[in-house]
Amino acid sequence: MQDRRFPTGGRIDRGQPLAFRFNGKEYTGFSGDTLASALLANNVRLTARSFKYHRPRGIVGSGPEEPATLVELDGRHASANQAATTVRLEDGMAARSVNCWPSPGLDVGAVNQLFAGLIPAGFYYKTFKWPGWHLYEPTIRKAAGLAGAPEAPPLDGHFEAVHAHADVLVVGAGPAGLMAALVAGRAGRRVFLADERIEAGGSLLDRRLEIAGRPALDWVAESVAELETMPNVTHLQDASAWAYREHNCLMVNERSLVNSTVLERNWRVRAGRVILATGAIERGLVFPQNDRPGVMLASAAQAYVNRFAVKPGERTVVFANNDSAYGVASDLRASGIDVAAIVDSRDVIPDFARNFAGDIPIRAGAVVVGVRGRRAVRGVAVAERDGRGAEKIDCDLLLHSGGWNPTVHLFSQSRGRLRYDDSLATFVPDEAVQACASVGGAAGELSLASALRTGAEAAAKATGTKIPDLPAATEESYSIAPLWHVDAPGAKGKAFLDIQNDVTVDDVRLALIEGYDSVEHVKRYTTGGMGFDQGKTGNVNIVGTIARQKGVPLQDVGTTTFRPPYTPVSFGAIGGIREESVVLPYRHTPVTRWNLDRGAFMYEAGARWRRPGYFPCGDEMFQETVNRECRAVRECVGVYDGSPLGKFELKGRDVDRFLDHIYTNLMSTLKPGQCRYGLMLTEDGLILDDGVAMRLGEHRWLVSTSTAHADTVHGHMDELLQTQFPDWNVHVTPVTSQWNNATVCGPKAREVVAALDTDIDLSPEELPFMRFADGHVAGLPARVVRVSFTGELSFEINVAPRHMRDLWERIMEAGEPFGIEPVGSEASHVLRVEKGFLSLGHEVDGTVDAHDLGMGWIMSKKKGDYVGKRSVELRRRGNAIRRELVGLLPVDPNVQIPEGAPLTPGGETRPTEGLVTACVWSVVLDRWVALALLENGQSRHGETVHVRLKNATVAADVMAPVFYDPEGRKMRS
Amino acid sequence: MMLIPCPFCGHRSESEFAYGGPVKPDRPDPHTTSDEDWVEYLTTVPNPLGPVQERWWHVKGCGTWLTIWRDTRTHDIVEGPGDAG
Amino acid sequence: MSYDASFERLPISACFDLKGAESALVEWIGAEVLPEFPAKANRCCKADGVSLDHVGPRHWLLHADIDREGELNAALRPNEATPEVSIVRVSDTMTTFRIAGIDAAHVLAIGCPLDLHETAFPEDAVSFTEFFGQKALVRRCIGGFDVSVEQSFGDMLEDYLTRALR
Repeated sequence: MQDRRFPTGGRIDRGQPLAFRFNGKEYTGFSGDTLASALLANNVRLTARSFKYHRPRGIVGSGPEEPATLVELDGRHASANQAATTVRLEDGMAARSVNCWPSPGLDVGAVNQLFAGLIPAGFYYKTFKWPGWHLYEPTIRKAAGLAGAPEAPPLDGHFEAVHAHADVLVVGAGPAGLMAALVAGRAGRRVFLADERIEAGGSLLDRRLEIAGRPALDWVAESVAELETMPNVTHLQDASAWAYREHNCLMVNERSLVNSTVLERNWRVRAGRVILATGAIERGLVFPQNDRPGVMLASAAQAYVNRFAVKPGERTVVFANNDSAYGVASDLRASGIDVAAIVDSRDVIPDFARNFAGDIPIRAGAVVVGVRGRRAVRGVAVAERDGRGAEKIDCDLLLHSGGWNPTVHLFSQSRGRLRYDDSLATFVPDEAVQACASVGGAAGELSLASALRTGAEAAAKATGTKIPDLPAATEESYSIAPLWHVDAPGAKGKAFLDIQNDVTVDDVRLALIEGYDSVEHVKRYTTGGMGFDQGKTGNVNIVGTIARQKGVPLQDVGTTTFRPPYTPVSFGAIGGIREESVVLPYRHTPVTRWNLDRGAFMYEAGARWRRPGYFPCGDEMFQETVNRECRAVRECVGVYDGSPLGKFELKGRDVDRFLDHIYTNLMSTLKPGQCRYGLMLTEDGLILDDGVAMRLGEHRWLVSTSTAHADTVHGHMDELLQTQFPDWNVHVTPVTSQWNNATVCGPKAREVVAALDTDIDLSPEELPFMRFADGHVAGLPARVVRVSFTGELSFEINVAPRHMRDLWERIMEAGEPFGIEPVGSEASHVLRVEKGFLSLGHEVDGTVDAHDLGMGWIMSKKKGDYVGKRSVELRRRGNAIRRELVGLLPVDPNVQIPEGAPLTPGGETRPTEGLVTACVWSVVLDRWVALALLENGQSRHGETVHVRLKNATVAADVMAPVFYDPEGRKMRS
Repeated sequence: MMLIPCPFCGHRSESEFAYGGPVKPDRPDPHTTSDEDWVEYLTTVPNPLGPVQERWWHVKGCGTWLTIWRDTRTHDIVEGPGDAG
Repeated sequence: MSYDASFERLPISACFDLKGAESALVEWIGAEVLPEFPAKANRCCKADGVSLDHVGPRHWLLHADIDREGELNAALRPNEATPEVSIVRVSDTMTTFRIAGIDAAHVLAIGCPLDLHETAFPEDAVSFTEFFGQKALVRRCIGGFDVSVEQSFGDMLEDYLTRALR
């Protein structure tokens, strides 16, 4: 029953009723309604409980400034902390008030009001100190604060984030913004026009003004229609520009998309110029009980009457300090609402305003000193500013207007500075820092004529075109005498400066008394202007209150920093489609599908490559699987997919000296066909990467890197070549994805590769260890490289990715008679630990150098200089104790040592002398074996050391870090 | 999200670039420089409040390592002291 | 499907990475094999089924149908080229998606920060940029765009595009 709805008028479609639920009860509204206007139409007045004190609250505003009625939406619209005034009503919508349980009418937390006097600003900081805030925080956060995130993602639909580019971005489609868009659009520029309301028109929707002698909304409709015809214009409604970032990058969140699976779309707009036509927000007046349900901003009531055809009350009192509320009173009376009085704090009221009032009684020089009614306004107490002439007026609606604040949030986010304007009693944009201009209400141009004019001027300037002839507009005048808060004698009770955060005049006073002097400190101590309110209604009153208390001009107090988001935005919209399976990047090789079909357990193993960890068979346990794969390699043959290794082709006259500069060892002595293992350091002597360099020809090389560091090494080489050695003739081409490889390893590897049918001579004489050969394998063009990361005889068969799957299947086929097994990352790890081959990230961290690893031989003494040489020498000077790589055999062979476990002298509670870097079940020794970094470890072979665990110690014998084939006969075979 | 001028591609979104850090002095000759100067070179990184000269790698674009002056207070890309003509 | 666009993964094409001075490349390869060198950065020139993209300083990509790979390889002789130039066969390195339809530009904009409007990215434009977080080569095709990413990210890109087109 919409008993507060006028039978005619408004921007709603009575032919399209929409059913919705609010706090469990069913209502109907119309298409064109917001949730707030539909609630008011149904005479729902108590709509919320407050942030801290759980005071009853109603609807205060009509747009994003709404500080009181915040809702959570369920179902398809699931989201938290939306202002009811910005939610476009949809059929079947279900909403709940935030911050009250079970309902705003019966709110358990309301007991806080009894103790309200005991919880002033800073109460939580002072009280919940011992033993620590974190003990209390969860409970307090639950009782105070806003809604949580929805528990589950929306059932259907998804979010989207999208890039856009514009010559001119216009924010706001009110009179100034529309005018600007028209001028820029007619000039042929790419225009992006975004407006937060459901339809264009801005404040014209709320008021009864004329343009060119006709209703202003006719002009709006014609302008929108003209923009529609321009292919160079993108025009979005219900799209809030919520962040203004560096280099003219703005975020625009588009909601309530029609006929789309997209729930919200976040536009990242890069604009040549930005025109901020964001309008102005009415600020409230500050007087006792100014938060009661039924106390409403004057402009909001005007919007409900004119735009939504809703009667926000039967009998109203208007309280103001400026002229704009007189037009509101006039509109309300014309709609049949009884306006009992206009209470104006000014002594002298301009005739322009007075003419609007007609026969409405005006009390000049008077203020509202109190409000009757807890859950709904029943009347107000009025007195002169000195407290005399008190009277009570019955009413069910109290409208107030404390003046207009230009919506400078985006301008301020763009780092533009604000200036206090005395005649408007508010802050207006001063000089812009980025390429933007403020127009209309956002620039303090509060009349319709000046909005049209400034919009046209800014767009003409941005496009270098002429200012068009402007249509005539309703004449308006505006004057104000600031009233920061009512402090007439007799004004008692909580007077709210910031309704959303429950911040009162007394809180600000307390903050100042306690020494929180700067406006930024007051903000943090009281929380005024925080959260998503971002000071829309209360900030200037807070600044005024501080200025008054300190006796300084407002300009000197300044404002706090406005932060994004200007209006709430879903995290989902920021992330866009990047969720679920694509939340992180992933890479596949041509063998990935085969691995999955084989039942491999896949996970990421460096640089986003999704690789097989192991290939479980039947009902094997994890360790059984790994052991089986290891035994295959040690006893017969295994194959693994080495495609992810980083690979770069280097070409040029200076590659030799470049490689000698970036590797610690000498590369230039290699002959074509040979390869060499090498180590790269950073300039500060830390290990950057290890890999193999292959000389393909006189001036052509292939550098392979570890999987994880391929991009780092690429950047390292390019940076050196472009910044330090721009004259050197070296070209680097990444070929990681041009060469895949299958590595066949094990005592039977040669037989398997031979069985593949190859024109390459595989004999140890023709293709010895650390050599490679180009030719064909299994009829595919291939390069076979004799390197080994397992310690076994290995053939790394490199082919183009288009042939990789084919090669892989041929290897499995040819290897079957030999018992070939595919080998995953887990088994590879065991095999390299058995050999003591280092793994970056295990044995190598930011403290370890090659000498510590027993690889001093790789630090060339012949070369005068290479990257990192000087730094390693510097660090090793003197006799500092180093942690050195050793092998460990747990005294009890069946005891596994956790990787990363510390070694302490005697296993006692003493400073550590090292750590275990890896521990695996060795299939060749049939026991657990470990690698560790141990102080002076190279001279402690044979000692027994102790691993200190939480409740135990593990004794282990120190040995050289190699458990299998120390002479390397197998891999050279 | 900054817009970074690439000498080859023109202005591009920051997301196409990798940060290369502030520009340090040229690498000293390791054979002749003192320990102190070497350590100074390795460890002292310009970190001014205001314009800083820094490198960016256009890794997702043309691959250029480029140098800009960026004001650390504002993200504005400005003319460096040496650039002014 | 909420967008009027579709995508397909194209078979690989022949691609050679050319680096070095333009004159040195012309001298080694011979002017008759190559199209004209594009005069501007991030533009391409086409001739006789072969396109030459200027994708970086002293850096070009030469594309043609895969069945011409052998012929081009013989003409370019990558392994014998003079030290001053680098010629590397990279046909397998990237995988290309063709995204076409009325909404193709919007789908591109979901993943790509580059301004792809025809005034900023004309018919002969080609550039490395970012697409769904990865380095990608973007060019126009009839009715849409061709986007190439490193081959190992192909499955992920397919995943992304399927999601974008929901």
